Amino acid sequence: MADPKMRILVVDDFSTMRRIVRNLLKELGYANVDEAEDGAVALQKLQGGGIDFVVTDWNMPNLDGLQLLQAIRSSPALKHLPVLMITAEAKKENIIAAAQAGASGYIVKPFTAATLAEKLQKIFERMGG
Amino acid sequence: MSDFPGMEDLLQDFLQEAGDLLSDVDNKLVDLERSPADRRLLNDIFRGFHTIKGGAGFLDARELVALCHLTENVFDRLRNVEMTLTPALMDTILAATQGIRSMFAEIGQQRQPAPAAADLMAALRSALAGGDAAQPVAAVPTVGAAAKAAQSGAGPAPLAPESGPDWQALHQALTGRTSEPPARAAPEQAPVAPVAAPVAADPGQLQPHFPPEGRRASDRPGAAMSGVPAGRRADERAAARETTIRVDTARLDQVLNLSGEIGLTKNRLTSLRAEIIAGRTDSETLQALDQAVSQLDLLVSDLQNSVMKTRMQPIGRLFQKYPRIARDLARQLGKDVELALVGEETEVDKTMIEDLADPLIHLIRNAVDHGVESPDERRAAGKPAKSVVRLEARQEGDHIVLMIADDGRGISPERIRAKAVEKKIISEEEANTLDERQSLNLIFLPGFSTMSQASSISGRGVGMDVVKTNIQKLNGSIEIRSDLGKGSVFVISLPLTLAILPVLLVVLGDQPFALPLSMVREILPIDQSKMQEVGGRDTLVVRGEILPVIALAHLLGWPQAREPEYGVLMQTAERSFILAVDNFAGRDDAVIKALDDFRPRGVAGVTTLSNGQIVLILDMKELLADLATHADREQRSTQPRVELFA
Repeated sequence: MADPKMRILVVDDFSTMRRIVRNLLKELGYANVDEAEDGAVALQKLQGGGIDFVVTDWNMPNLDGLQLLQAIRSSPALKHLPVLMITAEAKKENIIAAAQAGASGYIVKPFTAATLAEKLQKIFERMGG
Repeated sequence: MSDFPGMEDLLQDFLQEAGDLLSDVDNKLVDLERSPADRRLLNDIFRGFHTIKGGAGFLDARELVALCHLTENVFDRLRNVEMTLTPALMDTILAATQGIRSMFAEIGQQRQPAPAAADLMAALRSALAGGDAAQPVAAVPTVGAAAKAAQSGAGPAPLAPESGPDWQALHQALTGRTSEPPARAAPEQAPVAPVAAPVAADPGQLQPHFPPEGRRASDRPGAAMSGVPAGRRADERAAARETTIRVDTARLDQVLNLSGEIGLTKNRLTSLRAEIIAGRTDSETLQALDQAVSQLDLLVSDLQNSVMKTRMQPIGRLFQKYPRIARDLARQLGKDVELALVGEETEVDKTMIEDLADPLIHLIRNAVDHGVESPDERRAAGKPAKSVVRLEARQEGDHIVLMIADDGRGISPERIRAKAVEKKIISEEEANTLDERQSLNLIFLPGFSTMSQASSISGRGVGMDVVKTNIQKLNGSIEIRSDLGKGSVFVISLPLTLAILPVLLVVLGDQPFALPLSMVREILPIDQSKMQEVGGRDTLVVRGEILPVIALAHLLGWPQAREPEYGVLMQTAERSFILAVDNFAGRDDAVIKALDDFRPRGVAGVTTLSNGQIVLILDMKELLADLATHADREQRSTQPRVELFA
């Protein structure tokens, strides 16, 4: 497991969903979690620094998850940040779009702590290697 | 037994947030009906269903996921202009939001919702398949509607992921791993099951409350339509009163901050006390004491305000439920009505918001049903066919004012009077003494209805007096104004909060009493020489209005020691009168302490003045009611009842 103190930003416009993700992360030992209610707020927080990992929903008002991902990848300061995309559908075009935009991984709602752990593990492995 | 063990907290959050979201969607649907091609609206509505579905998935509420999914797909196609919004489709969509709301109610009772009505699901599928939404299809293939739509529809409709090298490669690229066999899971589940796909591939990963079998079953239309009578839900909506409240964290922080400051000031006072007890009473110490006490004073009143603010909620949360209700009702009646909301950000005490829900629904229904004319009638009267009912909230000083205004036919005072006489609520003689305002207010009397035919919608007129009673319970008042041919306005006035009651302190003998300031219209000196006796009662003429004078001593059953010098012109919803008192002691914001075990009639509670004196807060309604029973017995035959304390 990666550094449990790493600061994770959970981005979702539905606060219940942020709470769910937060609880699952906590279950996995990641307690250092910040939240943002859409991509625009997330980007602002990211630019403030201190975030090590982003878990973002796709469908959000203002700036959606894909746009957030694109903004992260095009920013010199943020482009190395790992981003895990949460999607509601396992649609082919969604996954293609996420891959092209440079997502580090994707996960389909609803998921369990175990699935989340596995997705995170894969991302850490690739980051380490 | 709960169907959601260990998730009760999450459930509350979900229901509250998703409920708000659904109300928002409902309102946007009403807007969409007027501008069916508005892409922003279509997107927002799509996202609403999508978000609810996402949350429902985590609760494993399969039927809710299934219903949201189909509705979301409809909006996906609408926003991509692959489908047009017909009135029939609109009805199907509105039925879907209704279905989702019923499911929320079931979840609220800790039960997994039963499947949505079969005809609704069929209509949604049929719409997605390009059929006529109004005609439910009999047989739906088990492949699922989305897949069917993908086959028959054009453009980038939701595609069923296929097993193939493309997917595998992407999957690999994204996850860096090949072990998950999407080919096994995807084709049979993915189209209608966003919840399924790769996750479900390995049952070992799943926790007990995400049974893959069950989830798959729900995705088959056949399963969704099985059994369960649709009527089961309707009567199970025992609306539990919310016991939790959502508070802006900034407001909580302020409370925390102030309590911290008070703690510090308390420490300062404790150390000053020690110094003073030890004999240090020099001017420096006393000045420090004075400073600390003043600071505490300021902080405590700030804290009271902040705590009160945590109870305040924007009334928009209540308002947003109404456009849909108004729209459905108007359609049912063949009218064209727009409900315009104004001042949704106005903040009101939470308990009050809940208690206002029913009275407001009744008034809106009344406006749409009785107030507003049919489009033909309106055109004949030279008005636009579409009528506007305005629901407005605003803060005026220490009051909240709510208005429900329609631009309909208005109410004729003569008709009201005639109706009241006909229904034997008042006598002919009484009717003749009533002015326009008093006549209109007759509709608040029990048993009154302006329609000869009670409609199934606004009921039988049992409502208006209940509306009024409910508003009065909140220390508020309701009044009606009407302009014949132009419309009617109901004006509700409410105190900002129930916790603090602004009072007027009056003195009788040497004892002060508190009167609710909301009932006080003005204060005037009583000139004994101007007192007139009408029908055996003392009256005074104030600006042409004949008002009865009642001595507070008489109300309380005290002996009248001397002639009262002052009068308080008091107004309740049904009557105005002058309360005669000896003197005044000012006004105060009373923190009401209820008298639970021992409450004498006519006393609403007690409060403490700054000097420590205990003051009784009078319940004028109770005192007047007692007096009325008296008066009624004595003077039943001679007095008009409405004018004088019926």
